[in-house]
Amino acid sequence: MGRPRIGAAFGRHFRPEGHFDRAAAHKPILVLDGVVKVYRADAPVLRRVDLVIERGEFVFVTGPSGAGKSTLLKLVYRSETVDEGRVLFCGRDIARLTDESIPVLRRNIGVVFQDFRLVPYWSVAHNVAVALEVSGLPSRIIRSRVSMALERVGLAGRGEDLAGTLSGGEQQRVAVARAIVNEPAIVLADEPTGNLDPVLALDVLGLFEEINEAGTTVLFATHDRTLLEASPRRIIVLDDGRAIEARSGLAGLSSQMGRPMAAERLPA
Amino acid sequence: MTLLGRALRGIREHARTHIASTLTVGLALFCLAGAILMLENAGALSARWGAPVRMTVYLADGANAAQVEALRSALADLPEVSETRYVSPSDARAQMFELERDGTLANASVDLFPATLEIRLAPTATNADRLAVLGARVRRLPTVSDVETYRGLSDQMRGVLQTARTLAFIIALIVMLCATAVVGNTVRLSLSSRMREVEVLRMVGATRQYVRAPFLVEGALLGGVGAIFAIVAIAGVFFSVRARFHAPMTAILGMSPAFLSAWIVALFVAGGCALGVTGSAVALRRWLAV
Repeated sequence: MGRPRIGAAFGRHFRPEGHFDRAAAHKPILVLDGVVKVYRADAPVLRRVDLVIERGEFVFVTGPSGAGKSTLLKLVYRSETVDEGRVLFCGRDIARLTDESIPVLRRNIGVVFQDFRLVPYWSVAHNVAVALEVSGLPSRIIRSRVSMALERVGLAGRGEDLAGTLSGGEQQRVAVARAIVNEPAIVLADEPTGNLDPVLALDVLGLFEEINEAGTTVLFATHDRTLLEASPRRIIVLDDGRAIEARSGLAGLSSQMGRPMAAERLPA
Repeated sequence: MTLLGRALRGIREHARTHIASTLTVGLALFCLAGAILMLENAGALSARWGAPVRMTVYLADGANAAQVEALRSALADLPEVSETRYVSPSDARAQMFELERDGTLANASVDLFPATLEIRLAPTATNADRLAVLGARVRRLPTVSDVETYRGLSDQMRGVLQTARTLAFIIALIVMLCATAVVGNTVRLSLSSRMREVEVLRMVGATRQYVRAPFLVEGALLGGVGAIFAIVAIAGVFFSVRARFHAPMTAILGMSPAFLSAWIVALFVAGGCALGVTGSAVALRRWLAV
């Protein structure tokens, strides 16, 4: 599939006038600026979170259940809106997008969920192709890109199988293929290994690392410590609504804090 | 893939649901088609029987045969008149003898029975007002003692038929509302089994129109095919009943019931499509937070 043209893809699709914005290519791909999100008044999920994700990074977002990992990702693909602050995607404030612009945003973001979110009575190819069909691409191009995406995730030749007949690991691979087939600027993974056994989980993590090596920014939400230790990446811990960062794994976070991290603040 | 292609794919993937839905809608529309058929024939019946059909001209005593014949010919030439018949006093007594059982009036003197001209009117060419004017003019003729237009009877008949027509219209309206509700609920059921589809489409960047449009097309197809089923079914029932009871119906009603015209059938199918789209739109609006 080649190296994704992140800036060009976003500039072409995201700016309403459709012109490539060279300045956008040098900006961080994602900035959270003083983000507050509240579901219950007495317990905000996110409290003035400040975060910068550079293009091409692979970032873990971790924390205990209910810490706000999924909420943070939802804010990025505009399934939720912030109560305060800004979410800048390629320099553009997502919160100010009109309803008509949200679909355009989502075509530049690939999302993978814990429960795969496939349509079980659709074929594997159809589940992947839908991400391209909504853009109105010709059938010939769709077939070609779907085939390449399935090959990339190790499911070449499985296009005609019904998604509901696949194993959990295979279904997650299909979900990953759907997330990347459109060459998105960023891939958001919300506990993608939550329903998989440890071996498959590492397998899927490897898939995301390959995607990242090809140039796609990856934001990977997980509470699985095994994955955090297996891959020395930048980690953001959500703790009591605030974001604590480490630039090189859990050990880095501990040294950054100047003391071993409190057990109750680490993911289980 | 085209919009129609996506809608047909959705129908194929949920064929059983759509078949059941189409039959349900077809049943509702069958009732509607029946109500419309009643409405149409009630209208024709009203036109046929609501109009005045006869008039009796009572001849003055002493009118001679030539005068009576001149009056009869003049009336026969009128466009409103289809038939005229002279009934002599003895003919009238004979008719009374046939109607009466005890023969009291039939045994009375023939002088008690007036000579009349019985006028049969062309129903489509006459209305009550025109007949009243004609009756008034004939009444002024010297050979005429009185004219009976039976206006009260035709007014009553017309009133009854108009009431029947109104009832049929109300039934049609109620059935149409029910059919809309059936279509809406059917689409909602279809939607509820396809929420994952909708969720995925929105997640990958489909616009609202992209998500909604196939459901609207499916609704139109559901309503249109249901309407066709209804027309075929009602035609089957109508023509088989008419074939079996044609003679007695014509004798009683004075006319042969007619099926819906091609124009009404076309409108009905188009209306079915519109009903399907409306039901889908309502269900989408209420049940799909897209």
